[in-house]
Amino acid sequence: MDNLKSNQRLTQSPLFKFLMLEFICIVLMISDKNNQLAQPIRNTLSLAAVPLLKLVEWPQDLYQVAQLAISRQAQLIQENNELKEQLLDARLKAQQNISLVAENDRLRDMLKATQTSPLTTSVAFVSNINQTQKSQHVVIDQGSADGLFEGQAVLNLDGVIGQVDVLGQHYAHVILITDRSHAIPIEILRTGMRTLAYGNGSEVLLSEIPTSADIRSGDVLVTSGFGNRFPRGLQLAAINAISVSADRTFINATATPYAQLDRLTEVFLIWPNEDEALVDE
Amino acid sequence: MNKNPQQTTLLMHLSLLCALLLTLLPWPSQLTIWQPHWLALLIAYWSLYTDDSRVMYVAFAYGLLLDVLMGSLLGKHGMSLVALSFLVTKSAKQLRMTSFWQLLIMVLVWLFNDIVIRAAIDWISFRYQPELLDLLPLLTAAVIWPWLKYLMDRCQTSLRTS
Repeated sequence: MDNLKSNQRLTQSPLFKFLMLEFICIVLMISDKNNQLAQPIRNTLSLAAVPLLKLVEWPQDLYQVAQLAISRQAQLIQENNELKEQLLDARLKAQQNISLVAENDRLRDMLKATQTSPLTTSVAFVSNINQTQKSQHVVIDQGSADGLFEGQAVLNLDGVIGQVDVLGQHYAHVILITDRSHAIPIEILRTGMRTLAYGNGSEVLLSEIPTSADIRSGDVLVTSGFGNRFPRGLQLAAINAISVSADRTFINATATPYAQLDRLTEVFLIWPNEDEALVDE
Repeated sequence: MNKNPQQTTLLMHLSLLCALLLTLLPWPSQLTIWQPHWLALLIAYWSLYTDDSRVMYVAFAYGLLLDVLMGSLLGKHGMSLVALSFLVTKSAKQLRMTSFWQLLIMVLVWLFNDIVIRAAIDWISFRYQPELLDLLPLLTAAVIWPWLKYLMDRCQTSLRTS
């Protein structure tokens, strides 16, 4: 009886609770970090998180609807005209593209190179939600229920913006290319040199380029397709500054991403081609 | 101490949910670095003014929820908040007697501890280099704490008298 009481006292004591909860947290963190064991827990908790996200977004949606209702017809007509012009422009470019694609295909046929087939994409909208994290994340409104997977490439119309980092059931966190813990295999379009681009908080950084390499400010960076995460040839950033490292052994270059990462509204998700997957197997 | 503990519990959960929403609300980017850790402030308050150590479970649950919302490592905020709650509950009885300034300094110490724990976890998980800017939320927390305490005290008294 006495023993039981002391047991009870032990489990009631704050220290015991503290140690137990901290232990659970450590186990969760390790399982989350290493082998995705914590994904079911995350999925369940994410269902509780969805109403909160909706609650934050609701006034913003309301504001947009109100803005649309109040905005004057003249403004709408002007906007419509501008959009039509943009569409014409885009169609013209697309027409030029068709002939280029045909030419490219013929050349590839001659070289017996593999065909690049069009990509499967889907559109997601970015939630305007604050992220006080140290890492740069945006939240999008599609999750594992929509077929997203971790490491999936995310773009917008201007270029690559990042990849899916953390999955919930109905939303996902996308890590941006400018995040300090993100690296992406890239290729310099003009010379074909391949390297890695790391995020440095606001831009992407190319470090450890040999001093003999041909690299200029204004060079366009595209994804190189290495690592099988990002498809080849998506534009990413333009180099804006080049400097030689302190010990004069390497060149460091910084590049500005084409996409405006602080004002994203809609993004495209890319699924890898099934044909390519078959070839890989 | 309290006549209707159920209502107090309800108030606690309501205030914690409000804290989560405040964390999620988009702020201008210049202000984001000043944003206090609302949830930690409220967990500190409730650990101080409820008598049982059950608040630790609440801290754990809301910490995990915040992790899921922020997309951070599952258990990061949980760990820091449970530690915070434990530190407060351990000496809650003495702290309720202390003066305003002492309490304010103690709150800042707890929040600092919270920041240190999170920075350590970030460092272990993705080699995050801590910056001095990470301490800015402490300043705003120091400004907000007295008002928050006053507001929550008023809410509790009105519950008790009604």
